[in-house]
Amino acid sequence: MLKVDNASVFFAARNGQTVQALDRVSLDIPNGGFVVALGTSGCGKSTLLNAMAGFLPLSSGSITLDGAPVSKPGAERGVVFQRDTLLPWKSVLDNVSLGLQFAGMPRKERDARAHELLRLVGLQDFAKSSPYELSGGMRQRVGLARALAPDPKILLMDEPFGALDSMTREQMQELLVSVWARTGKQVFFITHSIEEALFLGTQVIVMSPRPGRIVARFDVDFVRRFAAERDARAIKTLPAFAELREEIRAIVHQTEDQEAATI
Amino acid sequence: MTDLAAQLSVLQSIDASATVMLPDPKTATPKLVKMRSFGMGEGSTVFISVATGIAILSLWWLLAQTGWVPHLFLPTPSEVLLQAQSIWDDGYANATLWEHVSASLARILTAAAIAVLLGIPVGLLMGLNRWAKGVLDTPIEFYWPLPPLAYLPLMIIWLGIGEASKITLLTLAMFAPIVLSAQAGVRALPLERVNAALSLGATRWQLFGAVVLPSALPEILTGIRIALGVGWGTLVAAELIAANRGIGFMIMSASHFLATDAVFVGIGVIALCAFSFTLGMRLLEGWLVPWKGKN
Repeated sequence: MLKVDNASVFFAARNGQTVQALDRVSLDIPNGGFVVALGTSGCGKSTLLNAMAGFLPLSSGSITLDGAPVSKPGAERGVVFQRDTLLPWKSVLDNVSLGLQFAGMPRKERDARAHELLRLVGLQDFAKSSPYELSGGMRQRVGLARALAPDPKILLMDEPFGALDSMTREQMQELLVSVWARTGKQVFFITHSIEEALFLGTQVIVMSPRPGRIVARFDVDFVRRFAAERDARAIKTLPAFAELREEIRAIVHQTEDQEAATI
Repeated sequence: MTDLAAQLSVLQSIDASATVMLPDPKTATPKLVKMRSFGMGEGSTVFISVATGIAILSLWWLLAQTGWVPHLFLPTPSEVLLQAQSIWDDGYANATLWEHVSASLARILTAAAIAVLLGIPVGLLMGLNRWAKGVLDTPIEFYWPLPPLAYLPLMIIWLGIGEASKITLLTLAMFAPIVLSAQAGVRALPLERVNAALSLGATRWQLFGAVVLPSALPEILTGIRIALGVGWGTLVAAELIAANRGIGFMIMSASHFLATDAVFVGIGVIALCAFSFTLGMRLLEGWLVPWKGKN
């Protein structure tokens, strides 16, 4: 379980003032849980993810993974970035097995594991390709396989589908759900799409900017239903889905209005 | 008939003519179009370049053959070719052509090897470490803008007239562009790429070998290309001043006897060498960094 306890982050702004990016955020991601952080840009969701990944120290508060404090990046927390960060000089296969290479796994074993992961994300025929020969959606699938390779306890995903067209995006959401259902990983996922958040999460947290904090939490179960029934359209057109979407939309708009009032 | 009806009938006739104007895909080949381009466009420039080359050669031949430019200043192309043949067969200024060329090549290749072996690690270190950057920036920024020939006399006083002074001079001239490009390569490294490797469990050394060095490689190769250009300029100039072998020396001694045709041969040999170096670097880039510009 990943536990965020009263995490606050202060940055120094260019004009010499301090900016509070996170304000006493507390959050639990249980084993097998899929937590989606939702909010407008600047609400601190990426800051929160960077702190979880160990890229950013906290000003106060703590983050622990299964009781061990998080202080720097590590292979037990896999990260998928918005822009793909694949190494262009390595083949797709070698990109996927990069973490295994760092861990010192022998070539034969890591290739076998990387092939297995490429099958999981449906790219078994592209093992020898170069990343720059793939489309944006395929590259994000390689990024997902790469993050899964060292068998992390948690996946941290920073708007991974934000740059994709809406049709590819829906395919990627369905792929991610089946990978999550098969591997049982904890997932922390950032998005600014309400529909994506509702469709993917077992818990949706809504964040508001300046300072970044959690303003609402929803426990949802559409993702479990999708994992069982595999019919995305049926779920997204459910009245309960639409109601919750509108409820969250109202909250997001309210935080925007409040912000506009303070400026 | 109302106005509306009249308008409708006009619209219908336009519609009909539009249908007629559609080309029949079976009989007519369609006119191929592409986006209007700005600047040079996509057409090949090979033909234009070759034609320009021929024009320049013809102009040269014309000027020399007719005697509009005195023969002492400008030999004809055929005389230069004859002189090239004779230098190839008998050598020039107490050495064969190959001895001149190999003397020059040995100097530039030795200096390039030293500059690459020292410059890449120093540049990478300067990109990664604040202290290395702070300490090394001062001397490099001081000497790098100086023309190498300005400190050649100093090199000769310190190291003598032999190979050591010339190789040191060349190494210094080639070192700076390699250092600066390796440093720029590290600085251009996206932080996300570093973070991705760290979250996959990379240690500092693994990060360096698997991410930092390959990321900087395209910039480093560009730096080596610039260094070789600087190297040829410095080499020939140094040989003009202090040498008894080398292409620069050959040109210098030919000019003492006003043997313009031999000067032309020397220039041609340098051009050929420099061109093959550029070609070699291009091949090396295609082999080492095929992903360059694709990401």
